[in-house]
Amino acid sequence: MNLVCCIKQVPDTADVKIDPETNTLIRSGIESITNPYDLVAVQAAVDLKGRYGGTVTAISMGPPQAEQALREALSLGADRAVLLSDRAFAGADTLATSYTLSRAIDKLRQEGPIDLVICGKQAIDGDTAQVGPGIATRLGCTQFTYVTEIRQVDQTGGRVTVRRKAEGGSEVIIGCLPAVLTVELELTKVKRASLPRLIDAQRVPVAVWDAESLQAEPERLGLKGSPTWVRRIFSPPLKKGGPRFDAREDARHAVEACVAALLDDAAFAEQLLKHWER
Amino acid sequence: MGDEGGLAHMGEQFDVAVVGAGPAGSSAAAILAEKGVKTVVFERGEYPGAKNMSGGVLYGHDLARIVPDFAERNCPIERNIVESQAWYLSADGGYAVSFRDRVFEETLKFNSFTVGRAKFDRWFAEQAKSRGAFVVPATVVTDLLRDGGGRVVGLRTDRPDGDVYARVVLLADGINSPLAAKTGFRPEAAPEHVALAVKDVVELSEEAINERFHVEAGSGVTIEVLGVATKGMDGIGVIYTNRSSLSVAIGANLSDFMTHKVRPYEMLEEFKTHPRVAPLVKGGRPREYMAHWIAEAGYDAIPRLCGDGYLIAGDSGMLFNALHREGSNMAMTSGRFAAEAIVEAMERGDFTRDGLDGYTSRLQGSYVMADLRKYRGFNGFRLRHHELFTTLPEAAGYAARQMLTVDGTPKKLKQRAIRARILRDIPLLRLLRLLWEGWRSVK
Amino acid sequence: MAGNKKGIELAEVIPDKCIGCQLCAGICPVGAIEIIDGVARIDPDACIGCGKCADVCPVESIKFERKRPRAVRKKKAETPAGVPGYEGVAVFVEVLEGRGASVSWELVGKARDLAGKLGTTVLGFVVGREVEEVARQALAYGCDDVHVVDDPLLETYLPRSYGKAVSDLCATVKPEILLMGATLAGRDLSGVVATILETGLTADCTGLDIDEEKRILLMTRPTFGGNIMATIFCERHRPQMSTVRPKVFKFPEKDAERKGSIHHHPFEPPAGELPSVVELVRDAAAGGLVDITRFPALIVAGKGACDAESMPMFQRLADLLGGMIACSRPVVESGLLPYERQVGQTGKTVAPKLYVAIGVSGAVQHLVGMQGSERIVAINSDPQAPIFSVADVGIIGDYKNVVPLLIDELERRMKWETRGA
Repeated sequence: MNLVCCIKQVPDTADVKIDPETNTLIRSGIESITNPYDLVAVQAAVDLKGRYGGTVTAISMGPPQAEQALREALSLGADRAVLLSDRAFAGADTLATSYTLSRAIDKLRQEGPIDLVICGKQAIDGDTAQVGPGIATRLGCTQFTYVTEIRQVDQTGGRVTVRRKAEGGSEVIIGCLPAVLTVELELTKVKRASLPRLIDAQRVPVAVWDAESLQAEPERLGLKGSPTWVRRIFSPPLKKGGPRFDAREDARHAVEACVAALLDDAAFAEQLLKHWER
Repeated sequence: MGDEGGLAHMGEQFDVAVVGAGPAGSSAAAILAEKGVKTVVFERGEYPGAKNMSGGVLYGHDLARIVPDFAERNCPIERNIVESQAWYLSADGGYAVSFRDRVFEETLKFNSFTVGRAKFDRWFAEQAKSRGAFVVPATVVTDLLRDGGGRVVGLRTDRPDGDVYARVVLLADGINSPLAAKTGFRPEAAPEHVALAVKDVVELSEEAINERFHVEAGSGVTIEVLGVATKGMDGIGVIYTNRSSLSVAIGANLSDFMTHKVRPYEMLEEFKTHPRVAPLVKGGRPREYMAHWIAEAGYDAIPRLCGDGYLIAGDSGMLFNALHREGSNMAMTSGRFAAEAIVEAMERGDFTRDGLDGYTSRLQGSYVMADLRKYRGFNGFRLRHHELFTTLPEAAGYAARQMLTVDGTPKKLKQRAIRARILRDIPLLRLLRLLWEGWRSVK
Repeated sequence: MAGNKKGIELAEVIPDKCIGCQLCAGICPVGAIEIIDGVARIDPDACIGCGKCADVCPVESIKFERKRPRAVRKKKAETPAGVPGYEGVAVFVEVLEGRGASVSWELVGKARDLAGKLGTTVLGFVVGREVEEVARQALAYGCDDVHVVDDPLLETYLPRSYGKAVSDLCATVKPEILLMGATLAGRDLSGVVATILETGLTADCTGLDIDEEKRILLMTRPTFGGNIMATIFCERHRPQMSTVRPKVFKFPEKDAERKGSIHHHPFEPPAGELPSVVELVRDAAAGGLVDITRFPALIVAGKGACDAESMPMFQRLADLLGGMIACSRPVVESGLLPYERQVGQTGKTVAPKLYVAIGVSGAVQHLVGMQGSERIVAINSDPQAPIFSVADVGIIGDYKNVVPLLIDELERRMKWETRGA
């Protein structure tokens, strides 16, 4: 079984802030990490490889330093890693990104059929969750998003059964291969890489493919291929925050004052009253 | 790359396994890798430097011995130090001695410079990596592996299949070194042998720093502060200039912390409000707060650095010159010596204590041990003379204040008053002993 | 202060402002810009001083002194605003259990506002099986025209079939804007449709506005986990697509008398076998699954209140307030509460009337999921906790002391208020 994982390196979003006075990004100590959802995708792929045999290829579109993310994928058990890096890819929104990744998967397909493409549900910097569906649509594959369990892959029959989130609960659904899956965090725990794998991951050569080797149409790449542009960025407006009552000294008084402040609002008090009367 | 076959198998054999990707560890790895020695470095933190902290001063001379073209290789230098100041503070003010020399901007540029440890350690480990060393982060070394004769033959990490075999293990895991304590190679540091330091990185615009410290962009100043700022404890404060921030740190001997019951962070905050300090940090925004230990003990606390199958370098070996705040350079140089000694041992095929002894002989023959020996009494001296941090600063302040105040008092009377004040607080005998022992400890 | 080389003004990056978005690197005609360590750097030897990078930088981190006036600006004014041939603000109406999803109606309400500014109409796209009633409701909630694709094959949502239906509708009807609720299906479907139509899609928008001069939609959304807001536009591609989370916009008034027309379109199914659902598990049925978005009050346990012994106490508080227990991410990770109780960026977005945050620090990733709450009460022992900056009322203290007293006080008041009843 041949599996492909699309992964992305993202800034550790917990640290990213804009200085509200100067409207500039505060860069202190911002680290780059591999998108947590993508690590789950790789682990899921590696587990499937363990069950059914085959190979796992990790691909990532990004600047040269995204190689670190690919090495992390290798340390988890991916067999091969490809970095899609080219100035032409820069500035891509999700449409251009799914185009580039699809071209890479097409190129991999030339070497042999691909059964599953597994991606994280979303990247924690963009949070759009659009690239997975984009890839599935371009490749004409079955698309299953929010996958929480990969139940079974029937290689002879060419089908995959997954459990995924659905409105109001979850569904178990079966579809044809090849398929694109986007996975939720709870699908599996990412295992700690073993030491031999970790060391080997530093040794394995990472292939770098540029726009030309993907035979990609230049006007569909990067900035040129992106219909959406950022007009401006800003810090979310800070709310003021209301009165605070210190309960460390006199808790009862603080609580009383708090409840009084809450019930000050007649409309709110009325609703609460209605609830109590029921 | 396979699962069980191929290169990866349990207990891979390396030539050298290094514990800690700090200045000592990465130095050794860089030199070893360059000489084609199969080296792996294990780092506890998420990335090299994540668990490290220093005031932030680094010395170009030692770095150049390992990465000669460090400036061209985008070494993340904050500011090149062109001026050093020493302050002696009383509560309301204090003395300052400053030395600046043009030569530090020209021929001796990068003699010393400030860095951010997270950035620098990362860069430094990358240098080792680019020469072929393996650097494995987010991995804790939990134990050393030994053969029947007690010789160190490798180490154990907390990863699955986490045993690694190596001809030599270099312990460079810093002042806390849980491994050294656990394996008995170095006793757990006694409180009087270490200082606890806390540091704030205060953000300030590059222009403000240039202005307040009277430097050009890219040049910087270091200030070491003694006196009452450490609240009567044996300690020191520092202010170092980074590109667009100030490192403001203060620390004191751990045994003093235990008896004086002072809270480190409060001491730091108070330090920032001192009349000589406040104008420098005014308007700055504290960005990051860290705490760390500093090896203070000096020569007499240095453990045995060399054994069958292992070497100890850097802070882990207590190689720190407290008087001159030289730690990172000693770490780097000891890492380099360790690498050279290991290469020798490999040629001879002898990894016993004797075979690795080239390390200690190199250290002894270099400034590292020479300086540590010279100042071996310094730590003890300071601990015995707490008046350095309590009465003497105030008396000194009083002296200057007296002399500078023009109030109609004849100078002779002023002199008498000063003498009386000094002797009131510090008996003559004690004062003489202070001067004598002080001189002895640094000569 | 750009360098001067042979009389050319060079562009220069201000490293501290640069966010590493790579837009400049992509647009530089001579490839003079590289991203190093996440910050753009312009090679002064290669720079030709065209200024394109400075134009495209969203944070003004590129210094560039133009010697000549901006000829580019003038050119832009000549092209007509909008893209000819595309008109109307369309809303995809998601059908759940035979009824339109609330978020779809919220979007219809917003679409009226947007259409008003553009001087155009609101279109409803209703896809499903036996959805005539939903189509009529779409008119009542504010659509001028409703376009329906009604087919047995569309009974349940599947990406490929719905993707075809909606993109075919777009090709026929040619709306300039298409809005979808950011529900599970919506986030899925929008990506498919945007890819088929090769147009721009902005997900999870918290704000929508119109640039009337250019006749384009301005979409504001959180990025970097909510730490930074970005305003995005899609200038030349149509339709401009956007997904919006539930409860971001107000639920509109319904007007049963509203007039409009319903148009039916045939469904051409996509080629190939479609997936089939083997098993469907619903919330209420699968014991214990709770939808926290449906409760008017939420008692939210954060990392600082993640202890099993306090749960009964929280439940009592929840009962008193007509609410339900929810939590932040660390509590789910600790295993104390299941994932469906999680509020935040990777959890659910909620906007209850009352949000009681207990031991919640208020990290941005959490705030993003609950800022729309009407009234926020925060209980935290750390006076510096960021949650206090969004709380309408805050109590600084240990929740173990405070919550029992809070329960007492509420019970006392309840007894007092209902004494007559």
